[in-house]
Amino acid sequence: MSTSEVLRGWFEAYLEAFNGGDFDGFGSYYADDVIFQGQAAQVVGRTTVLDFYREVKRRLDERLELLTFVGAPAVGRLAVEMRTTLIARQDWLELSTGPIRAGERRQSVNFIFYDIADGRFTRIRSARFSPLPGIRP
Amino acid sequence: MTPEQRFADYMAAFNRGDEAALRHYYADDVRLVIGNGRELLGPKAIIDFYRGVKAKTQRTIEIVQCFTDGEWLAAELESEFLAIADAPDFASGPMRRGDRLYINSFVLYESRDDRYARIRAAVFKREWRRAQSP
Repeated sequence: MSTSEVLRGWFEAYLEAFNGGDFDGFGSYYADDVIFQGQAAQVVGRTTVLDFYREVKRRLDERLELLTFVGAPAVGRLAVEMRTTLIARQDWLELSTGPIRAGERRQSVNFIFYDIADGRFTRIRSARFSPLPGIRP
Repeated sequence: MTPEQRFADYMAAFNRGDEAALRHYYADDVRLVIGNGRELLGPKAIIDFYRGVKAKTQRTIEIVQCFTDGEWLAAELESEFLAIADAPDFASGPMRRGDRLYINSFVLYESRDDRYARIRAAVFKREWRRAQSP
């Protein structure tokens, strides 16, 4: 198995923990001072990231689906194309990416870059991929 | 030549506007989705589009980082557009002469037979720096 395949397996375990609400599991992937620049939050530190996701998962079902993986373990980098599906269990009108109402389903595709050091994410940055309507992505 | 070196050569050709060289980097059926969501199909469409961009703006793309694991290459790019003429139809929004636009983007390149067949860009950061009014 190539080192990139090993990295992919490691990353897929992160997604499984995230999708399963395993906060200890996916939280272990963040460095103490991780820089998180996501679509709905820009925060620093594992504790703050997990607090943010506790708030998210209290209100929404969020599922991440890996579409494309580019891994370069030798330089501590990976990039992914990720589909995020949100289903609101309650209204969240203050959601920074736009209000969402109970029962509403929202999907987005994002390109996410991860910096990795000592087996943990030190920086996570997400950019929305937004092809115009009708374009086959 | 590593894929990363090849990518750097491609970006150098792009920056100097070397249209003849650029054609060799694209598959005949290349699809490019730029940061604002517009799709360009085929080498000619890409080259024609960026010829138009260069007519109205100065721009150099810097490779912040790039890495690959075979089929795909991921790149983080930075560029600043300087409008050298009014560009009311500029892809990211209207620009007046002297305006600057900084873009930091994440781009995924899928290769086939050593040519880029699918290129998709997502804007991570966009900052307008408008020229001062006279």
